[in-house]
Amino acid sequence: MRNWIEKQRYIIDFTISSLLRRKVKNFGLLALYTLIVFILASTMFFTYAIKKEASLILKGAPEIVVQKIVAGRHDLFPVSYIETIKNIRGVASVESRLWGYYYDSLVSANYTLLTPPSSDAAKPSAKTTVVESESGGKPAKPLYELNGAVLEPGTLIIGNGIARLRNIGKDDYMPFRAFDGKVMNFRIAGVLSSQSELVSSDLMLITGEDFRKLFGIDQSHVTDLTVAVNNPSEVEMVASKIKKHLPDARPIIRDEILRTYDSIFNWRGGMMIVIFSAAVLAFVIFAWDKASGLSAGERREIGILKAVGWETSDVIQMKFWEGAVVSLTAFFSGVILAYVHVFFTGSIVFEPALKGWSSLYPNFELTPFVNLEQLTTLFFLTVVPYTVATIVPIWRAATIDPDSAMRFTGE
Amino acid sequence: MIELVNVKKVFNAGNPSEFSALNSVNLRIAENQVTVLKGPSGSGKTTLLSIVGCMSRPSAGRVKLQGREITSLPERFLTDIRRKTFGFIFQQPNLIKGISVLDNVMLPAYPLGEKRSHLKIKAMNGLSELNIANKAASKVEWLSGGEAQRASIVRALINDPHIIIADEPTAHLDTKLSYRFMEIIEKFKAEGKTVIITSHDPLVYESSMVDRVVNLRDGQIEG
Repeated sequence: MRNWIEKQRYIIDFTISSLLRRKVKNFGLLALYTLIVFILASTMFFTYAIKKEASLILKGAPEIVVQKIVAGRHDLFPVSYIETIKNIRGVASVESRLWGYYYDSLVSANYTLLTPPSSDAAKPSAKTTVVESESGGKPAKPLYELNGAVLEPGTLIIGNGIARLRNIGKDDYMPFRAFDGKVMNFRIAGVLSSQSELVSSDLMLITGEDFRKLFGIDQSHVTDLTVAVNNPSEVEMVASKIKKHLPDARPIIRDEILRTYDSIFNWRGGMMIVIFSAAVLAFVIFAWDKASGLSAGERREIGILKAVGWETSDVIQMKFWEGAVVSLTAFFSGVILAYVHVFFTGSIVFEPALKGWSSLYPNFELTPFVNLEQLTTLFFLTVVPYTVATIVPIWRAATIDPDSAMRFTGE
Repeated sequence: MIELVNVKKVFNAGNPSEFSALNSVNLRIAENQVTVLKGPSGSGKTTLLSIVGCMSRPSAGRVKLQGREITSLPERFLTDIRRKTFGFIFQQPNLIKGISVLDNVMLPAYPLGEKRSHLKIKAMNGLSELNIANKAASKVEWLSGGEAQRASIVRALINDPHIIIADEPTAHLDTKLSYRFMEIIEKFKAEGKTVIITSHDPLVYESSMVDRVVNLRDGQIEG
C-alpha cells in the first residue's frame, strides 16, 4: 500500500513536470478551455439567476390582472365592470390601475408610467413603502420602494434607469407632451430604490389625475384591474368566472407572467449559447486535434518510459492525470471567473445581450443563485469529453512495443 | 542464462513490405560474461537485443530466461521482468528533456514505488561513481555527449539489474569516451553482471574483457 501511494506520487510529480515542460502549449490550451467554460458558465449563471430574481419579484405581483380586449388587442377597461368582478365569489378585493408607456424621443427610450395604488401614494409618514412584500410565506422582493418620497399632483417618482439616462434627480423638472400636444412639466419628487431595478428601472410613478390629463383618459376608464383572491387554489377558477361574466375581459394569472419571463430569459440564454456554440465547436476541434495527434516528442517519451520499465497502465495513468489537471483547472477557473463576472461585475461582457429591453438598461446586482444540476451538466460537457479524447490516442501509443525507443536515432 | 531457440522475427507480416529481420536464431548467452553481438547494419543485432531484453516478442521460437520460458508471458509480467532484470543503455542516451539528470536517472524506479529518500541516495551514489554527481540538478539538454551517456548508464543501473543490455553504446562517442565506457563495462563484469552489447566498433569487440563475440549477418548467426 505504501509503495502504491509512493508510486502514485511519482506519477503525479512526473505529470506536473510534463505539463510544465510544454508550458506554452498547455497554457494556451488552458486559457482557451477556461474561456469556453467561462462563457458557458456565465450564460448559465446569468440566465438562472435573473429568472430566479424575476420570479421572486413577481411573487409580489397581483394574483390576477384583468384587461379588456377589443379585436384581440388591449383596450381601456370600463370602471363599470369592477362591480361585476367584485360580486364573484372568492374575490377578496379589486383595485383599478392606470399605467401606460411614454416614448421619450430625446433619449429614444420608453418609460412605463404607473399610478400607485391609492393606499401607497401620498403618505408623508412612510419612510419606505413596500408594495406587495409577502406572498405565501416566502418573502417576495418589492416591486418598487418609495424612499419616503411623497407623490403629489404635478410630481413624479422615477426609476433609477431614467434618472441615469436623463441625468436628473430629485426636484428637477421633466417636460412631457400630452395627448393633445400640450406640454406638461412635472417635478421629480424622488427616485425609486435600486433594489428592484430589474423591473423598476424604466418605471415612473404618477398621480391618477396627472396620468388622465397626460393620456386623455376619462374617469369612466382605467388601464386594467388587479384582483386579489381569498384562496390561492381558486385563482384559476376565479379567472375563468371573470371570463364567463365578462367575455371581452382577459384575466391574466401570475403564473402566466412567470412563465413568460422564464421563456424570455431561456430564449435569450439559448441565443447566447447558440452564438457561442461556434466557439465551443472550434475548441472541440482544437482539443481533439491536440489530444489525438501526439507529437513525435511525446511518442518518443512514451517509448522511453516503456523501455525503462513503465507499464502501459502507468503511461495511461500519467496522461490521464495530465488531461484531468488541464480540464479540471480550466473548469474551476472558468466557473469561478464566471461567478465573479455575473455576480460581482454585473455581467459586463454580456450585458447588452442578456438584459434590458431598449436603451434603458437596468443596473442591478444579481443575488447569487447557482443551480447544481446545470454545473454538473457543464462538467460532463467539458471535462469528460476532453479527458476521454486524451486517453484514446495515448492508449494506442502506449501499447506499442518499447523497442521503438531503441530504434530512435535522432536527438 | 538466456537461451534463444529457433527465434524468428518478421516485420510487416502479410504486407508487400514484409521483412524478415531474424531467421531461426539459436543462441545461449552465459551469465557473468560480456557478450558482443557483432555485425553490419541491418544484420538484426538490435532486433535480437530487443527480444533478449523483453522489449519485443519473436514472431516464432522461444526465449528462456534462467530456464523459464518468457515468450508467452502477458505484457505486465514482461514489463516486470524487464524492469527488474535488465538495464538498458541505448545508442542515443534517450534522456527526457526538460527534467533534471537526477529525475531522469530515477525514472525506471518510479513504478516500483520505492521511498523517495532511498531512491535519491541510490541515484546520487550512481552519479558519483560515474563522476557526474555535480550535474544531478542540471537539465539533460545542458550535458555533453559523454555526460549524457553516463547519465543513461546510471539510469540503466538504478533498479540494480543482473543483465546490462547496450545497443551500439560507442556509436556517438569519441575514442577517449569509448575507452571510458569499456572501463565501466569491466566494472560491471567484476560485479558479476551479465553484459550484452551490440556493436560493430572494433574498440568494443576486440576488447580483452569481451568473453564472446557472436557474428550476425542477414538475420542469422555466422559460424
